[in-house]
Amino acid sequence: MEFVELLSYGAILLYLLGSGGHICGTLTRKEKPKIAGGIVSGLGFVLHGLSLLLQLIQDPSLALAASEFYLSLFSWSLLLFLFILWFKLKLSFLGLVATPLAMFMLMASRAATAANVHLPTSLSGLFFGLHIGCLFAAIGLLAMACAAGVGYINLERRIKTKGRLTGVWAALPALESLDRANHLAVTTGFPLYTVGLVSGFVWAWITWNRFFSWDPKEIAALGIWLLFAFLFHQRLALGWRGRKTAWLAIWVFGLCLVSMLGINFLLKTHHSFA
Amino acid sequence: MQHDIHLYGLNHRTAPVEVRERFALKEPESFEQCMRALDHAVSELMVLSTCNRVEIVVVALAGQDVTAQVLECWARVSGRPVAELAPHVYEFTGIAAVEHLFQVASSLDSMVLGEPQILGQLKAAYRGAVEKGLARVVVNRLLHKAFFTAKRVRTETGIGTSAVSISYAAVELAKRIFGTVTDKRAMLIGAGEMAELAATHLVRSGVKSIMVANRTFERAEQLAACYKGAALAFSELIPKLPEVDIVISSTGSTEPIIRARDIREVLRKRKNRPMFFIDIAVPRDIDPDVNSLDNVYLYDIDDLKEVVEENMVQRQAEAERAREVVHAEAHKFGLWLNALDLQPTIVDMLDRGERIARKELKKTLKRLGPDQDPEMRAALETLVLSISRKLYHDPMIFLKRRAQEEGGGEKFLDLARRMFNLDEETPPPDAHGDRKPQPGSGDDSPEILPED
Repeated sequence: MEFVELLSYGAILLYLLGSGGHICGTLTRKEKPKIAGGIVSGLGFVLHGLSLLLQLIQDPSLALAASEFYLSLFSWSLLLFLFILWFKLKLSFLGLVATPLAMFMLMASRAATAANVHLPTSLSGLFFGLHIGCLFAAIGLLAMACAAGVGYINLERRIKTKGRLTGVWAALPALESLDRANHLAVTTGFPLYTVGLVSGFVWAWITWNRFFSWDPKEIAALGIWLLFAFLFHQRLALGWRGRKTAWLAIWVFGLCLVSMLGINFLLKTHHSFA
Repeated sequence: MQHDIHLYGLNHRTAPVEVRERFALKEPESFEQCMRALDHAVSELMVLSTCNRVEIVVVALAGQDVTAQVLECWARVSGRPVAELAPHVYEFTGIAAVEHLFQVASSLDSMVLGEPQILGQLKAAYRGAVEKGLARVVVNRLLHKAFFTAKRVRTETGIGTSAVSISYAAVELAKRIFGTVTDKRAMLIGAGEMAELAATHLVRSGVKSIMVANRTFERAEQLAACYKGAALAFSELIPKLPEVDIVISSTGSTEPIIRARDIREVLRKRKNRPMFFIDIAVPRDIDPDVNSLDNVYLYDIDDLKEVVEENMVQRQAEAERAREVVHAEAHKFGLWLNALDLQPTIVDMLDRGERIARKELKKTLKRLGPDQDPEMRAALETLVLSISRKLYHDPMIFLKRRAQEEGGGEKFLDLARRMFNLDEETPPPDAHGDRKPQPGSGDDSPEILPED
């Protein structure tokens, strides 16, 4: 087994332990297991990052051509934003969602057979990096905002209808903290998404001499951008917050999922990475 | 016992808020000066004054009746006739006074059962008494035992844990909405016990600022002073709403004073930042439609009652257990107080000496074996007993002399009892933890060294 593989299996194991910590912490409503889970998954995160870096150094074109690399990168960025949100907003409950999700994606990435296809030399350069990096970061943020949004909508309904706030309800963060995750996804995620999209078009223009090739994924991305822009505008210009923005974040992320999974599997696209 | 402990007070149960305000003793100095006129009768004095209660602890010479003097001074300082005050005042003497004070410290006598704020206020009152030299042996021990009892009650019973009062539940809900209330502003509309309690809870949770609106501006100013907030004329209420996050309303109005259409405008001005309304009034002050607006949460008294109800029964059981703790501690204090005199102290000292001597004698005899000369045994016994008596002789003479001096030598009696461990207390591992400032304990625990 290669060292790189070993690193990612180590990361999977640590994520598993970290998820356990989060589950224990949520069930017992104590911070300590969550922090332990965070530290363990943090170690996994470091190993994971190292393995990504090594893959990139060993054979950049092979790495960038394989869909498993992107899946792995996405799960890594998911955790990156988990840690940012944790430190900035104290939203430790997101660990419950993000850590297992990252683990499953990394496992899927391991399970996926590496397509030993070398990428055309055209797939390189600043714009390609920007395209991938920014979009994945934005989607990672959206995933967090979506999880926070689901929490928000349920807790908000519970408070409005004057239900008892015990058990799981007591374990959720306060409404304002959940809304702040949405705010961050909007203020940071939307610009990132925009940069990612534009750099993709610029790169396509450089490589293929056309901005837009009516690829299903490109169409979906534009749709997502429009909805995201709507959210951005309503939130920042009109001062929407709370329930409506939570729903919008869920919709935007849902569309991202459809475009990432649905289109890649069902339709022919040049974004299939393989 | 050379001294009696008396406790005089009034609280939310015996006196309505107007009376409490009139006789609040906000500046206890003049009252204390007045009491000093009686200097020989009163040896120790402590005054606790909060928005909800006044408690006066007086340690006076045994057999002296200081009630008349206390009431006289209290009324004079407040600028009111005694007749207006007397019906609301309760009086306890001896062990009953001790038990009452322990209950106050443990928050069993509070409006909100188990609220910890009173302990901080009591500590401040005690500090004041110590600084002015009004607290000596009895009050020192009384208050330390009161704090100890409060701590026991808090750790051994679940009295301070769950949401049991409506106002507490309201603050907990605010935390579910806002996370923390430390950067939030609150507004109190109208007055009334429950609304004031909710405001008290909010202030204690560290709310950033509080505004008080009332139809009578003077009343608003009084309440605002109580919470260190700002008073507001009733007409300014709606225009000020965009600045506040939490609104507690409890007016006697028959018409709603806040309507959904007002709030729609307010929300626009505050960019939809969430608002939490607590409507304690019956009939309601806030239009129920307000709850249907996004980012606005309205709880009225019935909603809050439901939150609280299930905790009530459990809290009562806990309170029962807490009362047992208080009773036991008060009993122990009574034993100490009774022993705090020359005769019992001497008896205890000799008794303790003899017990130690006999214990050691027994050990020695056992080691020497059974075939010892009875004469030898008798000589040994005489030896150890006379050594123990001789050892305690000088301390006893010293105590006798001090007892004849001014002040009764109580502090030396107390010292001797502690030095020779006559009350047989096993000191807890943190026995002296209260002597040094504890890191992170905040300013509600300013422990005071027992002076003298």
